[in-house]
Amino acid sequence: MRARWSGQVAVHLALATGAVVVLAPFAIMLLTSFAPAEDVVAGRIVPTSLTLDNYTRALQDLPILRYYANGAVVTVLIFAGQVLLAVPAAYALARLRFRGSQLGTGLVLACIMIPQQVTAIPLYVALRQLGLVNTYAALVLPFVGSAFGVYLLRQFFLTIPTAVFDAARLDGAGTFSVLVRIVLPMARPALVAFGIFSFVGHWNDYFWPSFVLTDDDLATIPFGIVSFLGTDAGTDYGPQMATATLSVLPLLAGYLLAQRQFIHGIALSGHSD
Amino acid sequence: MVVALLAFVVLPAAFAVGLAFVRWDLLRGTVEFVGIENFATEIAGGELGRGVLVTVGYAVLTVPASLAGGLLVALGIDALSHGRAFWRAVYFLPVAATLVAMSIVWRWMFRPDTGVVDATVGRLTGLRDWLNSLELALPAVAAVGTWQQVGFVAVVYLAALTAVPRDVLEAARLDGAGALSRFRHVTWPALGPATVFAVVLTSTAALRVYDTIRTMTDGGPAGSTESLAFLLWRRGVAYFDVGAGATLTVALLVLAGLVTLLQVRVLGRGLERKGTR
Repeated sequence: MRARWSGQVAVHLALATGAVVVLAPFAIMLLTSFAPAEDVVAGRIVPTSLTLDNYTRALQDLPILRYYANGAVVTVLIFAGQVLLAVPAAYALARLRFRGSQLGTGLVLACIMIPQQVTAIPLYVALRQLGLVNTYAALVLPFVGSAFGVYLLRQFFLTIPTAVFDAARLDGAGTFSVLVRIVLPMARPALVAFGIFSFVGHWNDYFWPSFVLTDDDLATIPFGIVSFLGTDAGTDYGPQMATATLSVLPLLAGYLLAQRQFIHGIALSGHSD
Repeated sequence: MVVALLAFVVLPAAFAVGLAFVRWDLLRGTVEFVGIENFATEIAGGELGRGVLVTVGYAVLTVPASLAGGLLVALGIDALSHGRAFWRAVYFLPVAATLVAMSIVWRWMFRPDTGVVDATVGRLTGLRDWLNSLELALPAVAAVGTWQQVGFVAVVYLAALTAVPRDVLEAARLDGAGALSRFRHVTWPALGPATVFAVVLTSTAALRVYDTIRTMTDGGPAGSTESLAFLLWRRGVAYFDVGAGATLTVALLVLAGLVTLLQVRVLGRGLERKGTR
């Protein structure tokens, strides 16, 4: 018994040691964001006094509310588009028999394997030719067809017993009403997980915005912070840490409130097979 | 849906390959077929080779480290009777944080002399000013990448650890097998699929490395951290050189293909073995 107990303590200690490295950047970010300029210059991690100077200076050049709002608009539009397209597609691939359904599933799988980076330049050229650079459309459209979303929902629909659908059909429900009245409510857990996966991914995405945005009017958080680095206050580490804190705040708050769903959602791609 | 996938994934991917063989002047709007000229200039200029080397180097630095770290964390958490959810949440925290923002924090931590890294690791090992060093800049970026994804790998392994046969472990323990040999002969084989999956996941992440590089080093010093994704952006967007950018896309596509091939072959073999038993 005694050996077991000390073993548990040892594991806790080992995990705590690792956690120091994992959490250090967050702690340093927070502490520095409240530190007066002289402590920041001296590289003191624990500030001698606390001040809000870094935040007031950062916020002069940082329209963070606009970035939050842009992030919200873009992620919501992307997810709405993904659901609108993926639910019927996944249902069709899982439950309807039609010519080419095998091919459809194969195509979805192939698309999951192609990284976003591969399609970036051609999409950029196309959107540029269409005059869509610097629009919400450019930020949203490339992601509404989510192969991963279709595949995930298809797998989920396959687990719903066919009897459920047959019963509805016997009651005279058409494909559309089966979809809205039965499939959607049943798919809620899968949709919540996919929603978090999609939301976190696009909220944090910097790669694609850096292709199709040229100024920060429509900037989401990551693009916004990088443009902030080019401003006067942005060259100082103190305001930089204040900015970083403000940037990670909404997502980390969400994470702390709903960590189980978050881990499940983000780790989705880890359970997709 | 199929139309959306065709429009936004398949066509662009095919288009990307096509673009590699033309010279497209975006400002004047002229397109001409130039054959393999784009590849010739990109290879001769050294950019293509460097991009592949940096990307593969980044993968070599991050994949084993993330797997080892993630596995250790998962084994630790799995051995606990209390506080599993707590430690899982702690280690997963970086995965949920905005990487661009955290890269700015890391850049500050890697600051020469007064930065945290130089003040601790630097003092112990003599390795300092990582981000301005030809040899250490890529490892610095890789360290941040590893820091960010260890929790993710740990969650993948934690899920797989629930599938390790407890009765076999118990039987091995009663037969006098030590902790190490129980791990080697029972736990590790059972984690096979999760390991393949974690390798695919982390290598794919390596092919995409971008946020940290743009914020921490901007490709420098002297091009030592120019990953393919970074060069893609610089060629295509910053320099408007679509043809050269497309050759980098082709390189990326080939590397992604290799990862997929690895996944299909290893997973396929594993499944076959299961099937014949």
